[in-house]
Amino acid sequence: MSAADAQGVCVGDRLGTTDTYAAGEGVFVRDGFVIASVVGFKRVEVPAAAGELPQKPTLHVASRDTLPLVPKPGDIVTVKISRVAQTAAHALIMCVGRQALSTEFKGVIRQQDVRSTEIDRVVIYDCFRPGDIVRAEVVSLGDARSYYLSTAKNELGVVYAKSATAGAAMVPTSWVTMQCPDTQAVEKRKVAKLESLVSA
Amino acid sequence: MEFVSPEGLRLDGRRPRELRRINCQLDVLSNADGSAIFEMGNTKVLAAVFGPHAVTRRSELREEGALVVCEYSMAAFSTGERRRRGKGDRRSTELSMVIRNTLEQAVITELLPRSQIDVYVQVLQADGGTRCAAINAAVLALAAAGVPLRDLVCGCAAGYLDGTPLLDLNYTEDAGGGPDLCVALAPRLDSLYLVQMDNRLPVDTFQAVMELAREGCRTISGVMRQALLEHTQRLAVARGITAAV
Repeated sequence: MSAADAQGVCVGDRLGTTDTYAAGEGVFVRDGFVIASVVGFKRVEVPAAAGELPQKPTLHVASRDTLPLVPKPGDIVTVKISRVAQTAAHALIMCVGRQALSTEFKGVIRQQDVRSTEIDRVVIYDCFRPGDIVRAEVVSLGDARSYYLSTAKNELGVVYAKSATAGAAMVPTSWVTMQCPDTQAVEKRKVAKLESLVSA
Repeated sequence: MEFVSPEGLRLDGRRPRELRRINCQLDVLSNADGSAIFEMGNTKVLAAVFGPHAVTRRSELREEGALVVCEYSMAAFSTGERRRRGKGDRRSTELSMVIRNTLEQAVITELLPRSQIDVYVQVLQADGGTRCAAINAAVLALAAAGVPLRDLVCGCAAGYLDGTPLLDLNYTEDAGGGPDLCVALAPRLDSLYLVQMDNRLPVDTFQAVMELAREGCRTISGVMRQALLEHTQRLAVARGITAAV
C-alpha cells in the first residue's frame, strides 16, 4: 500500500470529485464531491477495460470490518430452517452472500416460492425440515415479521441436512431426495444443484 | 462570585475561549459493536453502540431507514453527591431524546432500512457539558462500529458570564445562573444538528456566543478525527494490513 493510502480517511473527508471517480462502498456523493461515510482506508478499483466506454475508477473506503449488512431483494442468503408449517417454512437468515451476519434476521419461504413448477402441489415438509441449511434468494422485504425468500431456482435449496434417524450429514441423490450414508434411508428435500455436485 | 478574573482567567485557569483537555478512547468494550469514552476536562462519558440489527419492537419498524434508539443515564457516582437516579427521570428522558434526534440526522439511515441501532450513553463523571460530551462519545462509538455517517458531528457548549462569552462551561460556571447554549455542528457540511439554550440572551450577544460554540465544535471535530485515524492505523498494523509507519 502506498504511503498516501496508509494514512486512513475519516468520516466527512473529501476524497475526490465525481468527475474523476465513481462512488463505491463507504462513501457518499454531495455537491459533486465523493465523501467518506466511515473511518477506514481508501481503496481505488480500476475497472477492467472490457467495454468500449472508458469507465471511471471506483472509490471505496474499507472500514475495519465490512459495513453493517442488511439483506436486500436479490441477495443470495444462507438460512437455517427454524419452523415448518403447512404453507410456509420459517427460517433465520445467517449469511448474506459470503458475509456472516452478527445478528439473525427472520425470513419465510412461502409455498409458492419453493420451486418454479407445480407450485400449488408443494408439500413443505417434503422440501425442508427444521435444522436444514438452505441457500435462498431474497424476493422482497416482506411483511413486518420476516423477509420473503425463494428457492425457485436450480441452484437454490437445501445444501446441508442431517438425517432424522442417525443424525449424519446426508448426501444428495437427486433434486428431490437425499440419502443418509449410515442407514441408507432416503429422505425428501428440495436440493440445491451446486456446481461441485454436478457429475461429469 | 466572579467567573472571569480581571486578568481574564476563569475559575480553573482557562482563557474565555479555551476548551478543556480532551481525551478519546475507542473500542473500550469488547461485546459492543462500537464503543468510546470521551473526556472533556473532568466530564467523562462512555458510549456503546449495538447494531444495526433487526428491530425489537415491530410497531416501530421504519421501512425507509434505520431506527436509532438512544438511552442516556448517569451513574450514581457521577455527580458530587452520590444519588441513585432512575432511568425514567425527566432529565434523562429529555437528554435521551435530544441525543437521539442529533444522531438520527448524522447517521445515513437510508442505507439500512428496517433495522435498529442501539446507542447507550452512560455518564461516568459529570462536570458540566454532559450532553455535548454524550453526543461526541456516541459519534465516536458509531464511527468505531462502522455505521455510515454524514459527517463527524460534534457538540460543544458556550455561555455568557461577567460580560464575556465563555467556551465549554464546567459545572461551577454552569450553575452560575448565566445562559448555557449547547450546539451540535456537522463541521464539513457546516450545518447545525442541535441548538439548545437555558436562560436568556440579547440577540447580538447570542450571535457571539453561537459563533464561539461553533468554533469549539470545529476544534473538537479535529481532535476526534485524529483519534479515529490513529486508532484505525493501530488496528490495521495489528492485523497486518499495513506496515507500521
